[in-house]
Amino acid sequence: MCPDREILSAYLDGEIGPPWDTAIGEHVASCETCRAVIERLEKTRRLLQEDPIGDWKEPMERVRRAILTRVSPLPRPIPAWRRQVSLPLPLAVLAAVLLIALGVSSALSIARSNIGFVKITKAPAGGTEYQFAVPVDKVEALLKSVGGGDTSLEAVLTLPKNVKLIPVGAPRMGKENEFPRKKP
Amino acid sequence: MMRNLARNRNVVVPLLLTLAVAGAHAQEAATDPKEALQQLLSKALSVTISARVLPSDTQGDTAIWNAESTKLTIPGRAIKVRLDGDNVRIYLLCTPYVQEDGEVLLVAQGQVWLTQPTDREVKYSSTFYSIPLSFGEKVLFFPLGLSNAEEQSKDFYNIELEIKIVPYEEK
Repeated sequence: MCPDREILSAYLDGEIGPPWDTAIGEHVASCETCRAVIERLEKTRRLLQEDPIGDWKEPMERVRRAILTRVSPLPRPIPAWRRQVSLPLPLAVLAAVLLIALGVSSALSIARSNIGFVKITKAPAGGTEYQFAVPVDKVEALLKSVGGGDTSLEAVLTLPKNVKLIPVGAPRMGKENEFPRKKP
Repeated sequence: MMRNLARNRNVVVPLLLTLAVAGAHAQEAATDPKEALQQLLSKALSVTISARVLPSDTQGDTAIWNAESTKLTIPGRAIKVRLDGDNVRIYLLCTPYVQEDGEVLLVAQGQVWLTQPTDREVKYSSTFYSIPLSFGEKVLFFPLGLSNAEEQSKDFYNIELEIKIVPYEEK
């Protein structure tokens, strides 16, 4: 079996140590194919040693020009806000639907804040702050739903007839214990 | 690299959309009117106003007439009671406020319009009180003053209004 080209090249360069170099030498001596390879390699090395590459700048410049003429100029970088994003159609539809839902939700939220509803917030001091931007009938409806029946905040009581009510002093108001009841 | 960008977009775009929708839901939850009304309801107050006409003599607490009205309100919203009589009209405006310590501040305004048979004029008096009290504590209002049995004849009557404020309890 013949050694491959890399081994033969290494052999030629003296990079193969004993006892392999002796074995490869014996094989090359008996193998016409390997000998031919060795000869080609020797010839190449000889040519390289005898006629080194001359001025390489001109061919290199020629190659560079050829490349530049064939390749289009580099595209200018696109700003992030002008980049196009390609999405699968279902995902794009889903995104559109979600965006519309978000928009409608925001619009409704803004509309509600303008129309009203009750906003209850905790004040920094720990108290509760009530902000009523609510049409009156909404609160009436609330009170009706929990109180039932009469929803007005005004009660009218009719005093009995034939009772003489005359002022006996200045109006007074206070806690119950400030006005002790008379004992019978 | 382009493949990485495309893969990142496929992850980032749905993630952003999900976050946006979640944010919208969170915002909606914060301004949910039902929730706001429920919170409001938890702060609702029940104001009971009892009106009584009492004789000024020593018969004591036996009222010759009484009426009661219970109204539901929220702190800061006034309850108004009107008493109509032959020669008198009494207004009582009660505005309860719940303070930070849980106590109630009752701001009450009373107005009395009165005509007397001997007079051809209408007398008007107005009074304003601000009373801190606890839930369930009673406040009395004597719009025509408080007569004393020793000083007044038996023909006169006291009219008294009793105000009681308690937190609303859902049935």
